[in-house]
Amino acid sequence: MRASWDIFCSVIDNFGDIGVSWRLARQLVVEHDQSVRLWVDDLESFCRLCPEANNRDAQQTHQGVLVQHWVHGSLQENPAQQSPSPQGTPPVTAADVVIEAFGCQLPDDYIEAMVQRARPSLWLNLEYLSAEDWVAACHGLPSLQSRGLQKYFFFPGFTQGTGGLLREARLIEQRRRFQQSPAARQHFLNALGVFPQDNSRLVSLFSYENKSLFSWLDTLEAGIQPTHLLVPQGRIVAELQEWLGIKQLSKKDLHQRGALKVQLLPFLSQPDYDRLLWSCDLNVVRGEDSFVRAQWAAKPLLWHIYPQQDDAHLEKLDAFLKLYCQNLSPAAGSALRAQWHAWNSGQNMAQSEQELQQVWPELEAHSDAWCTQLSTQINISTALVQFFRKWL
Amino acid sequence: MKTAQEMKPNSVALIDSQPWLIQKAEFTKSGRNSAIVKMKLKNLLTGSSTETVYKADDKMEQVILDRVDVTYSYSSDSVYVFMDEDYNQYELNADDLETVLPFIVEGMTDTCAAVFFEGKVISVDLPTNIVRQLTYTEGSARGDTSGKVMKVAKLSNGTEIKVADFCDTDDWIEIDTRTGEYKSRAKAPA
Repeated sequence: MRASWDIFCSVIDNFGDIGVSWRLARQLVVEHDQSVRLWVDDLESFCRLCPEANNRDAQQTHQGVLVQHWVHGSLQENPAQQSPSPQGTPPVTAADVVIEAFGCQLPDDYIEAMVQRARPSLWLNLEYLSAEDWVAACHGLPSLQSRGLQKYFFFPGFTQGTGGLLREARLIEQRRRFQQSPAARQHFLNALGVFPQDNSRLVSLFSYENKSLFSWLDTLEAGIQPTHLLVPQGRIVAELQEWLGIKQLSKKDLHQRGALKVQLLPFLSQPDYDRLLWSCDLNVVRGEDSFVRAQWAAKPLLWHIYPQQDDAHLEKLDAFLKLYCQNLSPAAGSALRAQWHAWNSGQNMAQSEQELQQVWPELEAHSDAWCTQLSTQINISTALVQFFRKWL
Repeated sequence: MKTAQEMKPNSVALIDSQPWLIQKAEFTKSGRNSAIVKMKLKNLLTGSSTETVYKADDKMEQVILDRVDVTYSYSSDSVYVFMDEDYNQYELNADDLETVLPFIVEGMTDTCAAVFFEGKVISVDLPTNIVRQLTYTEGSARGDTSGKVMKVAKLSNGTEIKVADFCDTDDWIEIDTRTGEYKSRAKAPA
């Protein structure tokens, strides 16, 4: 059954909201043959993820997804609705399924359009990812709204009873094929201007500003094994420049400090970022989208969780670590916890980094096993389609 | 209007023109400094119950309810009877007392508030702080006096509660009914 879907995305900061929304929209089109309109309030950010997009077109189609610019408040204030495109902008009709990503507020007249439908829309709030126990108990629960509407809360998660994680149907197979081909890896890295030494450890760094960065870089600089650090454009770059003592990091320039080489990469598309994660021995990631993608890479990772008021994020960090460390030896679990806590609390990284190296082979094997375990659970797009069918 | 976060158990929200009694409300921080409230609601017109989730800052219309001071009288077959100063009796089912039920014990003398919607009693609120006697707890294993080490204890109605390790059987304790948590050791009520 081909249903119409409207996904509303409000870009708050960074690329997490739009990254997840864009990924989900494409999956619904490609893997479930759904008709998807993605409402984005920040076309600039969207264009970073979809370089073929034009930030001046209020309405455009990419990879089968109709991308629609929106402004907050009333849709009538949206230039796209006031001035129809030459092809004729369709009137705003609510879709069969309406998703507000991460609790963004739907425009009032869109809610009115939902009420006007002969059959009400399925209204979903796609929530933030968390490994906490309460998630499964809240997943799929309704929220009674006015005028006969109900909104359902859809929670991604790592366990049965949650909405699962975003994972393309052939992702694991594609990743395995790539990782089994040294030539594919080399070709990809070389195209980015990356030529790592044979004995060096390749590490990607995509993080928020982090007080632990300097001590971590100091440790890598003093390390026995050479490290080649690849840094896609992002918020960490300013601190990296400060540590290097340079004003401007240029793309593809190599800066060597002891055993550490630092190289800035351009902002990568989602498929290329995946390949980068697949290519590296360790991935430092942040927030939600890159965090999930790093788990699909089946390589050790270091997560910088989105910092929250009152240190609420530390509870969420521990909830994930509790799950992730379940099958690790006490030594490896303890080393991993120490490193992640240090990284997320602005502590010195020297000792935890050292301890981690002693259990590295176990962590490598574990990240692969963890990925396999996660890939047996439902992915979000399939769970959403199933939720809709069941709701019907 | 109040936010979902401000709505407490035993308050009533008017949602889509229907009065819903909030039987339970659990606040949880979700992502990026936002939060949700999981609620158990009971429709006061139809009697149906549902579990729901709201964003903590969702707006809700609170229904102002009448309240009358009552004391607990007795219970029989899952019906709990409270009485006001004029000896009027109010009966409530166990289902209507979900959040307070763990702290209702025979002989309690707390002044409670019977809550009314359109003349009908719908629930009872306990005082914020109540004093209850422990009927059983293991002895202190580590001799801890800080109050930070906790252990499980039982009230006379079988309710289990975590108390400070230094508490003993027959001790009286103070409980915060908003959280259902032990606050401190207390003196026996006069």
